[in-house]
Amino acid sequence: MKKMAFIAALFGVLALAAPAQAARVEVQWWHAMSGVLGERLSELVEKFNTSQDKYTVVAVAKGNYDEVTNGVIAAYRAKRPPEMVQIAERGYMTMLLSGAVVPVQELLDQKGYKVDFSDFIKPVASFWSYKGRMSAMPFNSSTPIFWYNKDHFQKAGFDKPAATWQELETQLYAIKAKGVSECGTVLPGDFFWSLLENYSAINNQPYGTLANGFDGLGTEFVYNKTKVVSQVTRLKKWLDDGVMQIAGQGFSPEQLFTSGRCSTFVNSTASHGNIERNAKINWSATFLPHESDINPPLNSTIGGGAIWVMKGHTPERYDAVAAFLDFVAQAETQVWWHGVTGYVPATNKAYALARERGYYKDHPTREIAVLQLSRGTPNDNSRGFRFGNFVQTMLAQRSEVEAVFTGQKQPQQAMDDAVKRGNEILRQFEKLNAGKGTEWAPEAK
Amino acid sequence: MKASSPIATSPIWPEAPADRPSGLTRSQHKSPGEPAAGRSVATERAGKARAPKRGQPDREPGLKRANFGRGAGLPTLLLLPQVLILLFFFFIPSLRALTQSVLLSDPFGTTVHFVWFDNFKTLFASGEYRQSLVTTAWFTVAQNVITLAIAVVLAFATDRVVRARSVYRTLILLPYAIAPAIAGILWAFLFNPVVGPLAHMLHALGISWDPNRNPNDALWLVIMAASWKHICYDYIFLVVGLLAVPVSLMEAAAVDGAGPIRRFFLIALPMLGPTIFFLAVMNFIYGFFETFAIIDAVTHGGPAGATNILVYKVFVDGFINLDLGSSAAQSVLLMTFALICTLLQFRYFDHKVNYGV
Repeated sequence: MKKMAFIAALFGVLALAAPAQAARVEVQWWHAMSGVLGERLSELVEKFNTSQDKYTVVAVAKGNYDEVTNGVIAAYRAKRPPEMVQIAERGYMTMLLSGAVVPVQELLDQKGYKVDFSDFIKPVASFWSYKGRMSAMPFNSSTPIFWYNKDHFQKAGFDKPAATWQELETQLYAIKAKGVSECGTVLPGDFFWSLLENYSAINNQPYGTLANGFDGLGTEFVYNKTKVVSQVTRLKKWLDDGVMQIAGQGFSPEQLFTSGRCSTFVNSTASHGNIERNAKINWSATFLPHESDINPPLNSTIGGGAIWVMKGHTPERYDAVAAFLDFVAQAETQVWWHGVTGYVPATNKAYALARERGYYKDHPTREIAVLQLSRGTPNDNSRGFRFGNFVQTMLAQRSEVEAVFTGQKQPQQAMDDAVKRGNEILRQFEKLNAGKGTEWAPEAK
Repeated sequence: MKASSPIATSPIWPEAPADRPSGLTRSQHKSPGEPAAGRSVATERAGKARAPKRGQPDREPGLKRANFGRGAGLPTLLLLPQVLILLFFFFIPSLRALTQSVLLSDPFGTTVHFVWFDNFKTLFASGEYRQSLVTTAWFTVAQNVITLAIAVVLAFATDRVVRARSVYRTLILLPYAIAPAIAGILWAFLFNPVVGPLAHMLHALGISWDPNRNPNDALWLVIMAASWKHICYDYIFLVVGLLAVPVSLMEAAAVDGAGPIRRFFLIALPMLGPTIFFLAVMNFIYGFFETFAIIDAVTHGGPAGATNILVYKVFVDGFINLDLGSSAAQSVLLMTFALICTLLQFRYFDHKVNYGV
């Protein structure tokens, strides 16, 4: 009997304690950040939680982007989705047309938060908005930049990497010929993003019809008729001549650069944290090269992730979500996140603030991404990419490019096949999603 | 969601409706007075119920029958965990896969079209799927042969190891304790053409080894990694199998002047028949289903799909590409292939194996 009484007392205490805790509305945010980035994300959430006393955001690391996506799909199907989820840029169309999300701008409007979306850096805003309205909150936006080993370039007699692919090729061959380094550059793991997609944007080449998919689901890939073919030919030549190396599995391409083996490396600006920590070399970074006959080069496009809001929660929880998203969009938060991670600040205001504080005097390479993203006015070729099943088409393309590297296919043939496979995948997405997305443009805009 | 009704009668399970009635009729034939539950079909067919206390084999010699005395309670209870495990980890997922394989749906399940066998048709029309089939055939056969050959040699050599035999055995068994993904990374690193020490050795020997740019090298690399991981499994069974070979037979052969190699091929190997047959089946199943982590760690199915075996393709299409219909159709096909493969092995090899000792 004593035991029973004890348990009853325990329940009584819990019942008393419960209302006190319930005063804070708790919402979950599933994310894909690990390592240093994961720690920074936790700090960000902590900042928000201590900044007010009404809401608690619980950040849950759910593995990499694929695992987060699968986790949220399973949770949604089981009718227990988190309130917020971080999804990579390639999953944009899947999330947009899923029927499972709440448009971010609508939510913020409804809850009375005034986030100035017109102040977002253009390629960031255009990527995450649909029919003029923000569908997800841009969170970690990056873009590829060109990293290089200063000593290697100086020893070979160059100040810095050239601005065009043609001159850069001469430099890399010279570096190898002079014996400065046996590896001019290393093939990035996400070369499809940096060396094909961003290459197309910067060099004003169309990737797909209908403004790279921005004007409709009927879009078709066209990169087999653009400079992408000669770009793949160039990469194959560099590989054959040993100027470019493949790191391969079990080893990250970044290590070949930070260890001083390879002289240059195309990678996301978000790797600042890692490179600053690991590089034992005298490194710097600059803009991605462009073709000599394209002048001026256009902006690059973004990669990274955004925060999507899931359907199916109570209004109180959406209050918490809106408050957190507003916090994320604030210039102070953006500047802090930019500084500790290397991701770009999402708004012009935040960028101006960082500049004003002299941040780029100490960290000049951190400004490159912002400058590269915001140069000129984005056109149909550089606004971004809006293809359904974009992960699947990318993997098909990667496989075809690998067939060039293995010598099984000629570049033109491989790109024709990649476009053919990609278009079949796009048609399947179109078939499945025909007529969707109308809810995203409520009133005539 | 008109999908659910046609699936039950879909021709994928032609034997299911036929099988169930026959099962029912059998039980209906039982005489009503007999306490039928708990008694095996064999007992009923034999007609006369022997004294159950004896537990004597009443039909075929060599077949043993457990006897729990009265009632069906205990046997059911003992079966329950296994039945539940099968239900939740095999039957329900299989049914879900079957259902999903005839649907075209978006990942969140908000739009679902019933598409009959379109997913299967698309697969058979796709070059990548055919390439994956061929790759899988090469991969599983090569893996099977290599694993068995090396395991047989190592097992037979166990007897020859005089000093530190337990160390020898432990060393061989060690890879079994290593997670497949870790094993994969290990092999990928050792044979990495840029930094791998073993790759450098190959280069020094004049072999232009590069699994990143040579599809055959990549396929060999994953075959070797998968075999290495599984040799220990085969080894355990073979060592035990060899212990069952009567020493008298080996000694008689030795007295007759047969050398160790001859004794191995003429006596030990035939007597290991059942074990080797069993292992061959298990190796195929391992190759079909369990090598996914190794592929993921070593090659990601590349270069250019050269190591994209069926199970890895199921994973990529379902988990990464979120093409659930195609992935489900592939897993149904993969299960069918594994079934056919196992049945064929039983059909053609089983009766050639000598089970008598």
